[in-house]
Amino acid sequence: MKLLRYDVACTAVLMLFFILPLPTDAQTTEQYTIKVMPPGGPTPRLADGHPDLSGLWLPNSAGQGVSGRYGVDPAARRQFDPKMTPEEPPSFQSWAAAKIKAMTPTELELSKSSVNCMPRGVPAIWLQNPYGTMLVHKPGIFVQLFEVLNNFRVIPTDGSPHAKYPEPLFHGDSVGRWAGDTLVDDGISFDERTFIMPNGWFHSDELHVIERYSRPSMNYLIVQITVDDPKVLTKPWTSAPRRWTLANDKINEFYCTNNHELEELEKLKGLESQGK
Amino acid sequence: MKAPKVLGAAAITAGLLLLALPCFAHHSFAAEFDANNCREFTGILTKIDWQNPHGYFYLDIKDSGGKVESWSFQTYALITLKRAGVDRQFFVDNIGKEIWVKGCLAKNGRTNYAAAGLLKAPDGVLRQMGQLQDER
Repeated sequence: MKLLRYDVACTAVLMLFFILPLPTDAQTTEQYTIKVMPPGGPTPRLADGHPDLSGLWLPNSAGQGVSGRYGVDPAARRQFDPKMTPEEPPSFQSWAAAKIKAMTPTELELSKSSVNCMPRGVPAIWLQNPYGTMLVHKPGIFVQLFEVLNNFRVIPTDGSPHAKYPEPLFHGDSVGRWAGDTLVDDGISFDERTFIMPNGWFHSDELHVIERYSRPSMNYLIVQITVDDPKVLTKPWTSAPRRWTLANDKINEFYCTNNHELEELEKLKGLESQGK
Repeated sequence: MKAPKVLGAAAITAGLLLLALPCFAHHSFAAEFDANNCREFTGILTKIDWQNPHGYFYLDIKDSGGKVESWSFQTYALITLKRAGVDRQFFVDNIGKEIWVKGCLAKNGRTNYAAAGLLKAPDGVLRQMGQLQDER
């Protein structure tokens, strides 16, 4: 119940906050050709009255690709403004901080799913994913189709409980429920080979993830992640509410079949270990 | 009392920066390529590997002695290129033509291999091919 009250309060605050575009310097905004996408019309609804989260969403505030392009407003590149909604760094237990610190830059690079082509897993797929995500939403079911590595998730929102004997999975065992207009996914049983962030933040078998999804307007999807991992962290960590914007685009295929990076970085690691 | 406040603010800022960086980074090209060892290349486009996680295009480049060598250049992931308006057909249309590239060499010493940052085809448009120019 405590979590439910928090979610309802969060939803109300977020609805007010994210209906407004991220503020930018009015004097400099005009020079950009790619700007912050406006909020758009009202939140679309499912047949059961809950917000419909369906759409192809991009992890920026522009509603279109921003990498590799000129004339992009910096505010359109980001998902949140750290001045407005700061994120605290995770509080690692001392042994975990030491383990991360001991990684060399090349080892750190090799651990990244963007380099080794391992599935990002949950919650990383919402925290460290530069590509698009298509959401298909029906009453009782929430489908997530990720461009990255063609990963997918099917999350029941019909009151189904967690699996009786959940297996460790990259996307864990997730079930969703509504708290007001926020869809709250509760995830457990995650494969320990994934990282929360591409900065060495690993997790244990006790990782518990809460994902909160809301759509305060037609063009904005807000995703906020809470990570609880009592073996690794001293307290739960919650992300800033991150904005994804609706793209008028197609979902792309992304099979990782021609990965040169792993081999090249392994060679570099070999040279480093020889002190070269 | 002022010093602890300043220190506290600095610590929070540093923490935010540390955490914010990976939010936006795909991965660091600078881990594999040397951002301090970049140069300009001009050569004839011979081939494109249009595959993930990165595209690779190949140029025949003359060295100072006139000997032609094939170089390969890494690009952004294909999805990023496409959303930036660069598709496979762009490369196909430019095969056999002279291309200018600014790229950075591999840290592990692999020869004739670089990450492409910027590219200019005969149409004269400067296109972004990779993250290196973002990181410099």
